[in-house]
Amino acid sequence: MPNIDRRDFIKLVGAGGVGVGAGVVLRESIKHPREHLIPHVLAPEDYSSGVATWYNSVCSMCSAGCGISVRTREGRAKKIEGNPSHAVNQGGLCAVGQAGLQVLYNPDRVTGPLLQAAGRGSNDFTQITWDDGLTRVASRLDVLRAAGRGNRVAVLTRGTSGHLAELLEAFGQGLGTDRLLHYDYDHPHALHVANQRFFGEQQLPYYDLANTRHLLSFGADYLAGWLSPVHHSLGFAQSRHGGDHRGHFVQIEPRMSPSGAAADEWIPARPGTEGILALGLAHHIVASGHYEGDDVDAWQEVLSAYTLARVAQETDVSESTLRQLAESFANTRPSLAIGGDGAANNSNGVDTLVAINALNYLAGNVGEMGGVIFNPDPGGATSHSRQANYQTLAQLAESARSGEIDVLILNDANPVFTMPVASGFKAALEQIPFIVSLSSFIDETSALADVVLPSHTYLESWGDAFPEQGVGFSIGAVSQPVVAPLYDTKATGDIVLDLARRVGKPMPWNSTEECIKDGWNKIYQESDSNTKTESFESFWTALLKAGVWGKKNHRMTETSRPNANTIASIGVDAPTFSGDAEVYPFVLQPYLSTMHDGRAANLPWIQELPDAMTSVVYGSWVEMNPKTAKDLGLTEGDLVDVESPEGAVRAPILVYPAIRPDVIAMPIGQGHTNYGRYASNRGTNPLEILSPVVDENSGNVASNATRVKIVATGKHVEIVKTSGKSRDLGRDIVQTTGGDDHTAQTNSIPITVIPT
Amino acid sequence: MSFLDRITEGWRKNRKPGYYEEFDYHWAMTIDLDQCSGCGACVTACQAENNLPIVGEDAFTKGREIKWLRLEHYWEGEYPDVKLNVIPMMCQHCDSAPCETVCPVSATYHNQDGLNTQIYNRCIGTRSCAVYCPYEVRYFNYNDHAWESPLDQQLNPDVSVREKGVMEKCTFCIQRIRQAKDNAKDDGRRRVRDGEVQPACVQTCPTKAMVFGDRNDPKSQVSQSLNDPRAYKVLDELNTHSSVVYLKKVEAEG
Amino acid sequence: MDGELNQLKYTDIHNDVVRSIVETGPNYYIALITAFAFTLICFFFPWFYQLYYGIGAAGMNHPGVWGTYLASFIFWIGLSHSGTLLSCVLHITNSSWRKAMYRSAEAMTLFSLVVAAIMVMVHVGRPWFIHWAAPYPNQMEMWPNFRSPLLFDVMAITTYLTGSTIFIYMGSIPDFAAVRDRTQGWRNTMYSLMSLGWRGTDTEWHRLHWAYTFLAVLIIPLAVSVHSIVSWDFAMSIVPALHQTIFAPYFVVGAIYSGTAGIVTVMFVLRKFMDFGQYITELHFDNLGKLLLVLSLLWTYINIVEVFTGFYSGASGEIEALNYRLFGFYAPLYWEMIAFCAIAPLLCAFKSFRTSFVPMLVLSIAINIGMYTERFLIVATSLSRQYLPDAWGLYVPSAVEISILLGTFALFTTLFLLFVKVFPSVSMYEVKETMESPKKSTPAASEGSPA
Repeated sequence: MPNIDRRDFIKLVGAGGVGVGAGVVLRESIKHPREHLIPHVLAPEDYSSGVATWYNSVCSMCSAGCGISVRTREGRAKKIEGNPSHAVNQGGLCAVGQAGLQVLYNPDRVTGPLLQAAGRGSNDFTQITWDDGLTRVASRLDVLRAAGRGNRVAVLTRGTSGHLAELLEAFGQGLGTDRLLHYDYDHPHALHVANQRFFGEQQLPYYDLANTRHLLSFGADYLAGWLSPVHHSLGFAQSRHGGDHRGHFVQIEPRMSPSGAAADEWIPARPGTEGILALGLAHHIVASGHYEGDDVDAWQEVLSAYTLARVAQETDVSESTLRQLAESFANTRPSLAIGGDGAANNSNGVDTLVAINALNYLAGNVGEMGGVIFNPDPGGATSHSRQANYQTLAQLAESARSGEIDVLILNDANPVFTMPVASGFKAALEQIPFIVSLSSFIDETSALADVVLPSHTYLESWGDAFPEQGVGFSIGAVSQPVVAPLYDTKATGDIVLDLARRVGKPMPWNSTEECIKDGWNKIYQESDSNTKTESFESFWTALLKAGVWGKKNHRMTETSRPNANTIASIGVDAPTFSGDAEVYPFVLQPYLSTMHDGRAANLPWIQELPDAMTSVVYGSWVEMNPKTAKDLGLTEGDLVDVESPEGAVRAPILVYPAIRPDVIAMPIGQGHTNYGRYASNRGTNPLEILSPVVDENSGNVASNATRVKIVATGKHVEIVKTSGKSRDLGRDIVQTTGGDDHTAQTNSIPITVIPT
Repeated sequence: MSFLDRITEGWRKNRKPGYYEEFDYHWAMTIDLDQCSGCGACVTACQAENNLPIVGEDAFTKGREIKWLRLEHYWEGEYPDVKLNVIPMMCQHCDSAPCETVCPVSATYHNQDGLNTQIYNRCIGTRSCAVYCPYEVRYFNYNDHAWESPLDQQLNPDVSVREKGVMEKCTFCIQRIRQAKDNAKDDGRRRVRDGEVQPACVQTCPTKAMVFGDRNDPKSQVSQSLNDPRAYKVLDELNTHSSVVYLKKVEAEG
Repeated sequence: MDGELNQLKYTDIHNDVVRSIVETGPNYYIALITAFAFTLICFFFPWFYQLYYGIGAAGMNHPGVWGTYLASFIFWIGLSHSGTLLSCVLHITNSSWRKAMYRSAEAMTLFSLVVAAIMVMVHVGRPWFIHWAAPYPNQMEMWPNFRSPLLFDVMAITTYLTGSTIFIYMGSIPDFAAVRDRTQGWRNTMYSLMSLGWRGTDTEWHRLHWAYTFLAVLIIPLAVSVHSIVSWDFAMSIVPALHQTIFAPYFVVGAIYSGTAGIVTVMFVLRKFMDFGQYITELHFDNLGKLLLVLSLLWTYINIVEVFTGFYSGASGEIEALNYRLFGFYAPLYWEMIAFCAIAPLLCAFKSFRTSFVPMLVLSIAINIGMYTERFLIVATSLSRQYLPDAWGLYVPSAVEISILLGTFALFTTLFLLFVKVFPSVSMYEVKETMESPKKSTPAASEGSPA
């Protein structure tokens, strides 16, 4: 080092110091805010850094209404767990419920009010202010209401229960419209009608899987999607190993569902013949003297045509199997029969479910633990009375086409995706002059909206839920915001209240929170004086801390006796399918996959969750029996057109060992054209090609009544799935044991543990 | 002790599976295959809790999925006498883990709770542990992963986000175990109670097929479950002494 | 051979070898620049891309976590056994025909080890922390895991590298001195330093010979252990198709086999391009051919043993792995390997084949292709088919991997090209040992210097 004098040294050090300082300042300035160790100078009030805060709420991913507890850190939602105190799910939660976080933090959320000025379907949205958006909507509503033509306004919302449903009712009334429709694709219309017809019950009954020893499920995928899957899963578990007798589960369906995989027996009856099968069992139960009610003669008469021989021929299930099913169903006490999904979605759907009710009745399962238990009044408004079936939507479309509707208000409903193309629903909606959507995402239906006034997601909103599937007693829960709203959105209720105010029909609440609280105040006032807390405030706090409310109003032993007319009306016709069987040799079974009706397709976790039966991710597929595939000369991955009388969709073949050779199955949920980057332009939507076969009794589309043919395209794709080889080659990876090896949960405390 | 005694004592001590005289806690899990419905809630819960990346369709096509807990599907028989057996497979936390011996930098080791732990910042990515694991439950980060904003706001702050070149696998939600032990300590040196800590998969399971706990505690639910006559271990013949025990699926007659 | 060499005088050898170092034609520069350019393009640039993107740039996946990088690593370690065999084993057995070739063979060993070490860095997910595999005292108080076969690798290869470096350097000291005595300027300075003051006295020669033999004897078990240890990366696992006790002999035999084939290739190149036709003759190729035949038969036998034990075990995993190797996705590669390594070398039974240069070259390249395939198959087929069928997968190398594989050859060539310009690539003093010593009677014949 050459000689350096003091001045130069100080200059050097100074320059170095400035350089270091500049570097530090530069580095700090380019840090992302979250890289700062202590992000706040003034700590916010509602959380402590490093400590998690938990909020109870209600999951809104399906209509089951499971209670959730959400873990938040620093004002962000981190993890959703099941609420252990909630009777529906008791701490468990399904995959889609877990993925609710991705609804909140989805990159494709609508972040503020939008105007699709460039025309419908242009996908060119410009941002507008709330005032602007609300004014646009309110002005049209006001004009119509004032002129007494409020009925030209239609509201189409996803299934909503509780006080938000009441709010919407009040809103509709204030406008003067009766066109208020709730819409969930998988709403059990047929089941409601069947229960009304046979039991005279308005509510759905409670199916006590937990205590049953023998379950006969006609097509109902109770573990994966039917009614309340988490609750049924708990019941299934309890029945299997919660007591001293292992419950026996039988699944009757043409395509094995996850419930079929978990069952002890899977019986592939012909599609649409489940009701005939049920009546065959009923016939045997009556004929063999198991049923001893005093109306046995009436039953014998109405069931006389359903001999086992005839039923065996129609259902393609052997007589001996039928006999053995009937015997074990009748002899095992308690037993339970349920029906839904594929069995209910045929032209004879309601009749099938009535037959299943009859089967339960004849076996003595009604009003018994482990059987069919009637539900009391749910405790709050439910969605059923407003739920639109196919006919209702068809009527809406007709009204739209006739120019009877001027304004359509959408809220998180997507019938354009789930209605068959043959219904012309989309074209009909396009005739409506003004459509406003309150959805959080632009899906296929909201893509037709002129104005989008985005709602909060459920994790940011107040609300409540009274699940209509019930748990045998009234149950409800409040949904509260777990985080501050991310974007410039408003609660659905707040938007509705604002619109109501602007059209001169203000409602007594200033906000959704007030409305919910007010509703619960009424519940509080009516609650049993023994258990009533001293003030509403303490009740409210306890309610939110527990995350659940219930009433001890079981109807455990109530039963209902069908009258002579009801008995005489029992009968199941052979199912009718669209299309000529010669031209269209297969029956299409679209089934609800993990994405439900497609609503979860925009969640990357769900797209990346391997399908429960096939382990496929990110795509659609066509399930075909191995022999059928061989006969058609097709292998896995061959791209085919599935063609119905209405149209065709294209997807690759997946060879599926557990499906009838004359049946093709496709998962519902993919094939979105809108709905964000994870859902769009991926897979194919089998609902598009459904024929509009309607079950007259329920008014709903028989979605499993379409015939199709398979047309090879000659192309081939690689199906993306995570399973390598799905045969274990005798390596005994899943080991099974006969019944004797099994002991159920014992209460003894062992002294030794398994040596490791 | 003489020199020879010291050596033989050390040798005797270190050749126990897990090479601890005794485990502080000895975490174990049982999964009842007769109750598992194959719904996949556990898979998604694990993804949410442990910051598992969204790898994208391309990665799945190439076979680079990262699912610490996966569901294996095995069909049995032919139509119409066909059955599907589903088995959740995650790190078995073997007491004689083949992966622990082979890591050249000791990035994976057996801790005193009986867990097979992975130290992300020590891993240099030789991937030999993944070769040695007979259950193939170790997953490698072939590239850095991105969470499209604002999905990254959901990330769990208690779990590191792994960079490329690092191996990862199920940890029995060690962050929850750590938290539970800390809470127990704050409460005054008590032990973690049975059921107080549950990994995300166990907590969310709708059929309650999974039971987790300390098998050093004879009164814990998992100890009872381990004594079920249906209990077995996958690939038990390899003597890995896994901590995950499955209960056989019952094949009922009729 | 002796006859030919006897025509030559000491001076001829000196001139030829020194000329090969000192005189550099344009062809050499073209070759060097091409080799270096290929190294950059095929090896380093893809590797830098991989460092940036992650190992995902390669084709590996789950469960195929190991791929061509590891296969290349083993291949290059295998090639490194060439020098050992020729230099050490044949030295101890006093075979004279090795003398012209062994220096280049030792260089092959050295550079193969260097390339193999670099392949480890390419293979590993976070190579910037690769030094953690070395046992050095550090603040973390962390030592590497000595139970790990991969760490045995580190120890063994470092030892082998060190040993081989000392060995080749030591053996070249007299030759450095010879070059020193025949060059001027910077070369003279460089070789003076490198020859460590060698004067050629009897004592020095005696000591050199003793030290050389000593090292040769040590390096033989070292080489056997190195490749056994590399095989234990696989054999110490418990997964089917990898945990086989035959692996250690399998790998060692395979290493010597591919190493010998490698020598044939290099000798052909040296003959052709360095004009060493007088030193590397038909005799050498003849003997190498015999060696190849023996090794090929040994290798075939071990393969049969492997197939038989797999089949005989009756274990589902083993039989499946075997089936997959012979008849599965990679079956064409398996049969190519058999063709190149078990069947083709049988041609070496014919002397006419053995003494023809170009056919031997083609065979040697084929053998090495087959041997690379063998390493690749061990990695790829075993990982594709393990115990749990649901986790089976398929691994296909990506463009980056294949490029890097080709790049290793370019890297090796570059290093070798540099070598021939620094080290005398034919050992002058050993070759002189096979010749008649110059007559001391005439003063004109005293051109031969002691070195």
